[in-house]
This record gives sequence, C-alpha cells and structure tokens, in this order.
Amino acid sequence: MKKLLMATVAAGLLTLGLTPVHAEYLEEHRGGTMRLVARSAAGTVDPHINYTLQYWQIYQGMYDGLIAFKKAAGAEGFEKVPDIAEAMPEVTNDGKTYTFRIRKGIMFSNGQELGVKDVVASFQRIFKVSSPTAGGFYSVIVGADACLAEPATCTLEGGVIGDEAAGTVTINLTRPDAEFFDKLALPHAAILPADTPASDVGTAPIPGTGAYYISAYDPNTGMTMSRNPHFKVWSEDAQPDGYPDVIQYDFGLTDEAQVTAVQNGEADWMFDQPPTDRLGEIGTTYKDEVYITPLTAWWYAPMNTNIPPFDNVLARQAVNFALDRNTLVNLFGGPVLASPVCQVLPPGFPGHEPYCPYTVDPGTAWSAPDLEKARALVQESGTAGQTVTIIAEDTTVSKAIGTYMQSVLTDIGYVAEVKPISPNIQFTYIQNTNNNVQISITQWYQDYPAASDFLNILFGCSSFTPGSDSSINIAGFCDPEIQAKMDEAMLLGVSDPAAANAMWVEIDRMVTDKAPMAALFTPKRIDFVSKRVGNFQFNSQFYWMVSQSWVQ
Amino acid sequence: MIYAVLQRLGQMVFVMVGISLLVFLIFFGTPGVDPAARIAGRNASPEVLEAVRISFGFDQPFYIQYLTMMKKIFITGDLTSFVNRGWEVVPAVLDTIPVTLSLVLGAAVLWIIFSLIIGVLAAAYRDTWIDKILMILGLIGISMPVYWLGEVMNLVTQSRYHDTWLFSWVPPLGYKPLSEDPKGWFLTLVIPWFTLSILYIGLYGRVLRASITEALQEDYIRTARAKGLSETRILLRHALRTSLISFVTLFGLDFGALVGGSALLTEVVFGLQGVGKLTFDALQNLDLPIIMTTVLYASFFVVVANAIVDVVYILLDPRVRTA
Repeated sequence: MKKLLMATVAAGLLTLGLTPVHAEYLEEHRGGTMRLVARSAAGTVDPHINYTLQYWQIYQGMYDGLIAFKKAAGAEGFEKVPDIAEAMPEVTNDGKTYTFRIRKGIMFSNGQELGVKDVVASFQRIFKVSSPTAGGFYSVIVGADACLAEPATCTLEGGVIGDEAAGTVTINLTRPDAEFFDKLALPHAAILPADTPASDVGTAPIPGTGAYYISAYDPNTGMTMSRNPHFKVWSEDAQPDGYPDVIQYDFGLTDEAQVTAVQNGEADWMFDQPPTDRLGEIGTTYKDEVYITPLTAWWYAPMNTNIPPFDNVLARQAVNFALDRNTLVNLFGGPVLASPVCQVLPPGFPGHEPYCPYTVDPGTAWSAPDLEKARALVQESGTAGQTVTIIAEDTTVSKAIGTYMQSVLTDIGYVAEVKPISPNIQFTYIQNTNNNVQISITQWYQDYPAASDFLNILFGCSSFTPGSDSSINIAGFCDPEIQAKMDEAMLLGVSDPAAANAMWVEIDRMVTDKAPMAALFTPKRIDFVSKRVGNFQFNSQFYWMVSQSWVQ
Repeated sequence: MIYAVLQRLGQMVFVMVGISLLVFLIFFGTPGVDPAARIAGRNASPEVLEAVRISFGFDQPFYIQYLTMMKKIFITGDLTSFVNRGWEVVPAVLDTIPVTLSLVLGAAVLWIIFSLIIGVLAAAYRDTWIDKILMILGLIGISMPVYWLGEVMNLVTQSRYHDTWLFSWVPPLGYKPLSEDPKGWFLTLVIPWFTLSILYIGLYGRVLRASITEALQEDYIRTARAKGLSETRILLRHALRTSLISFVTLFGLDFGALVGGSALLTEVVFGLQGVGKLTFDALQNLDLPIIMTTVLYASFFVVVANAIVDVVYILLDPRVRTA
C-alpha cells in the first residue's frame, strides 16, 4: 500500500512537470479527424461485456472506472491512478474493505452528473448483464455469489455500499485480493449511468465520462467518436484531453487494402497486423511510420496432461527440448516480430525472471534445441510410437507452426499429424475435453499486469472445467502443490507485492518444469501509421493511445 | 398459369426450409461452436456461461430454437445478431442490398456488352487470328480467380501506380451511396465492376461463340443466305437471336447467385459492405442469425432468378411456348 501511495505521488509530480508541454501541444495540434481502419468490428459496444483488445483500446478515451491505468507510454501504463475515485482508497478490515471517495463534477456525455448511485448501479450491472469476467474477476465482492446465481435481481448487498451524503462508495470483499485495483481499472468495471439498460446494449452506445463518446455505430461500416461536450479534465493521468476532434473507425478493408490506405494517407492507422508480403516495403520506404513493440503475450502449445502421451511429464519435456524456437520465430516473421521464450511469464511482466531449462545450455536464455535429449526422454517415457494430433488454426502462421511441430514430433519418435481447423472454432474446440485434443497451438494476451493472469488462469485448477467450451486451462493441468503456492502468492500480494512477485518467479519455474505446455515465442505488435500522425505513444496495458496522437 | 406460379412458390418454400434446416443443424453439430461459450467470452465462469445459455434460449430443444429463429426472421423481423447483440439482422441485410445491387448490375452491363462483342466477333471471324486471340483472352479471364485479380487491381490502382495520371482518379476503397454522391459512387465502383465482370466476359464470350457457330450450321441460315441476305444481317438477326437462349439461361443463374451474395470475394477485396461481405464477416465469427438470414436471402434470389429465366425462355424461343 505504501508503495502504491508513493507511486501516486511520484506520478502526480511528473504530471505537474509535463502539463504545460501537453497544454502547448494541445493548442498547436488540436483538431482534425483521425481515421482508423480495421478488417471488421469487434462486437457489442457495451464496455461491461466487450472483451476484445480492439475495443478496450478505444474505450480508454471514452470510459472511466474508479481506478484507471495511467495514460502513459511504456510500462508506466501498468501503474494505477485514481480516476472517478478522488484518491486511491483507504483499505481496512485486513484488505477486505475499500472506501472510495467519488470525485464531484464529472459529467457523462449525455449531460448527467456522475454520482454515487451510478457507481453502485454499475457494479450490479456487471452481474446483471453476465459480463464475461463477472465470475472470474468480480466474484470476490461480497454478494457476488447470489448475483451469479440470479443475475436479474442482483443487489450486491453488503458488497457495494453507496453513501450519498458522504459521497463515498464502500466495497467489501470476501477475501483480500491483490489484483482488485487492476480489475477495477478494466473496462468491465467502467462506471456507466445508473439508468443504463440491464442488458447488453449491442449497437446502442452507452454514455461515458471520457473525452470522447461514440456518436455513431454500425458494425458493418464503422464507428464515429466525437468529443464529449461535457468533458473537463480532472486528471491528466487518468483521462487526459485528446487531440483529434473526431476519431472515425472504419471497418471492412482487407489487411492488404489497409496497408495501402495508410500509405496513401487515406487512413491514419490500421488495427490488423500488416500481411507478411507488405512488411518489406513498410520496413524500408515507410520505416519512419512504423512502431514495433513487444507485447506481454505469448504463443504456446498447451499439452493435454490428462491423456496419452502427454500425461507423462517426460514426454512433455521432450517436446520442449526438441522445438527450435528460432525456426518458430522465423515462421512468425523473424526476430523483428517475435523473440524465443521457454517460460510462462512474458518479459517485462511482474514476476518475470529469465528462465530456460529447455535448451542445450540450460540457463536464462534459449540458445538451441537439444534433440538427443528429447529423443532420450521420449524413450524413457515409454510413449514412443504413439500417435499425436496437433490442432492448429487454419491461418498461415499457425498452420506453418503446426507442420513444423509435426516434423519435430516425428523426429523424436511419435507418429504425428497436424489438423488445421478454422480460427473461428479452434480456440473453443481445444478447450473442450470432449474433443480429446492432445496438443494445440494458441495465444494468450494479458488482461492486466499480474502474474496470476497467466499462471493461475492458464494453469490453475479452477480454470479447468471438463466438457465445456469455456475451460481456459487447456492443458487440464492441476497440480495441488503449485496451486497451493499460487493461492499463497495471491494472498501475499495484498500486503507485500514484492515478496509475492518473488514467489511468482518460483511458480513460473515450477510450471515451466512440469511443462503443461511448450512456450513458443513472445510476439511483437506492429503499428503502422500515416505520415501526419504525431506523438505516437504505446501504453503497455491498452496499446497505442489513440487520442494522445495528433493528425495536424 | 396460376398452377405454375403456385408450383414455383411451393418449390421455393421447400428449398428454403431445407437450406435453413441444414444451416441450423450444421451449426449446432460442429464441435467447438457452443454459442453460449462464444457469447460469454474467453474464460467465462460456469455460472456466467449458464446465465448466457438461458438468456439466449440455448437450453431449449432444437426445434423450438429453430422455430423461434424462423419466426423472428419472417414474422416479427426482430432477430438480433449473436455477436453484435441488439443489432437487428433483417434491416442490416436490407441495408446492404443496394451495395450488392450496384456492384452486380454494373458488372452485368459490362459483361453483357463485352461478351456480346467478343462472341459475335469471334464467331464472325472464326478460325482466324482474331478468333484465336479473343478466345485465349477469354480463357485467361476465366482462369483468374476474382480475389487474386481484385488484390492485384488494388495494388496497381491504389498503391503502385496510384500517383500516376493513369490511376490518380481512383478513390479510396469503400462504397459511396448513389443518392448522396453519384460521381463517387461511379468512380469507386469502376474497378470492382471490371474485376467482377472479367470472368463472365470470358465465359459468356466463349459460350456465345460456340452457340453462334452451331446456329450457323442450321437449315434456316442456309435459307436466309439463299434469300440473298447480307452476312452481317444473318449473323445478327438470325444466328445471334437463337444463340441467346443459352446465354440468357446462364445469365439468370449467375445474376441470381451474385445478387444473393456470391459476389462475396469481390466485395471483401474492395471493402464494399454488401450482402456478401456481411455473410463473410458472419462466417468469420460464427454469427448464426446473420448466416441464416443471408443464406435464406440468397436461396430466395436463386429461385426467383430461375423463375424469371423460364419466362424469358418462352419469349425467346417459340418452340417452348407450344410445348
């Protein structure tokens, strides 16, 4: 807690120093229409329901939670700052009670003033609309169980208590939660007007408190974001003013056409990743308009720890030893676009300490595959000669990785085949134990910067639901010893984040050693912008901060 | 006459019920498509999954789900998307029809004009070098897949030669409504029209040449020659007219299918938000309500186009009338 306070103070000082520059820039570059393009829309615009990076990125300028991730470049974007709350809350009752003082004078884009009742209603709404993370992230609130069972009549009694007179909202948890601030800063906990319908609004945008609001939306053609006429800056860190007057997000161009549109200056930024055949020209002729940033994400191959051959830890380790990560990186587009990895937590993430046991010289970094060791392990495990089916996505990269893995598995003694299936189905298909998937290729992108978001979600016992299409622990990995450690680390995180992260380092190693998956590589993101875009800043949490760049 | 119309209607209903049932069963029969899991989002807890399942009615028996969906499409018209919840599907499909019609009608005009010219020229000069060149060009046109041709056209007109005098007039990709911006509408569609029609120009040109050549062997052509008519007149008034029957049959089928959404690849490549692109996007994220509606819409058009072709047949060929 102390550390958090210090960070806030430091952030405040920094802001004071930066503000005049920002103000000057604002005067000089304010205005214009910024045009973004994407292949397609990303579903409902309801911030309590939408669970895509594509919309989370643009929600940043439109919605606010009690807490926000700091609008700053780089890893500073992982810091949490008070947003609708006046200050970071007082935590009492052994970390189970949070009291937020609600900032006065914040207006929604429809002209209503934000009040305590809106905050209380918004927390109830998370459950009423069955937000995807209602059961995962917010079930820690007192009264959440009843709300999950009966969403329609959710009151969160005793969990979220508003005090109109004092202007405060008190949140009670059933147990201390070190990641509660992170969860509050996600769009799923955005504060919306109390009279927002208690069902998914779909294509009818909800008024927000940010600098922009959605003035038009058609999933088939595009979205228009205009300045919120009632917006006044209350915190540069939480919700700064933006440069463009209008942000127009158009849907429908193929990735090829998006590249061309950005090159011609018809669009200012493309959401989708440029196709590999255009990377050459982007990297040379347009190199001043490209930004490449490593992501806190990974590509990995989960191995089903409940069916042969990968119910045998030696077999799983063998795969890890055999994979040539350099080849995988090249299949993804080369070292500029990805870096090899052996462990769960991505570089730059809390709890990450470089660790790689699966290489010729085990240590901190991967150097080369050890095929002999892999073959020996397969023999030792007694699984040699078994049939293994790799389930890949039917996309160029995933299919190429699948084919490569097939050759490696064959090399170390299995009879391997690869089955690419449509990317629309693959992610849910591999989760369902009924489909008996042995090994697959998939990706995971962080929700928020906490080690448990990778380790506990992907390899925790509670994320494993046999027979369901929603069972994100694809490996079906459940190790009592590791689970106990993870529970301990999550509890420790409340009082001592540093000590908890040290524990996560160890857990990361334990999981990596048990190899319920083969880590493949850490991807990087390419942002390709038009010539006129200035002040490009990449925030580690929500990516490029759209409204903080200018177009004139 | 009434019997014929009723028969057509009966056929249409039969086809549409069959297709919709098939779409429905394939959708729910595919592993990994549990719509509740997809709607609930990644890593949804079992409780949330259950709540979504109930709120969307996925816990109901299949036939009830099917009937509810049909009711929402045909009677109440308030079927909403699984992905963009609250987005009404029927108006969404209706909104996209003008885009597809603009694309397909323009392309149809081009391919009728050019294939007539090519077919007649090749037949008139058959076995000369003109014929050979035209037929080879036709074959090339047929062989180029439209998505490849479209991307190459884009690369040439939007990127590589965009700044030259030749293509500087080409506007950015996307559709502009005819009512708001007629010039923009025309300019954005020129390249898509040509791209879509090239295949059909080649195909129809070759078909027409073959049937004219065949018609020229007929007795009535010899009679016409004996009467002393000019070769041009014989070709255009006598041989061409009977040859148009196969041309019209083909046209009816292709046009119906294209308006129904087969111009999908062209629409996707050129960023035109038509029926085809709507279907494509729905397939990308397995949005059953939209897939269902566009498939029904497409089958409707194919059946209607077939009926129209039958009528045109009668007008062109007296033999069909008596039979």
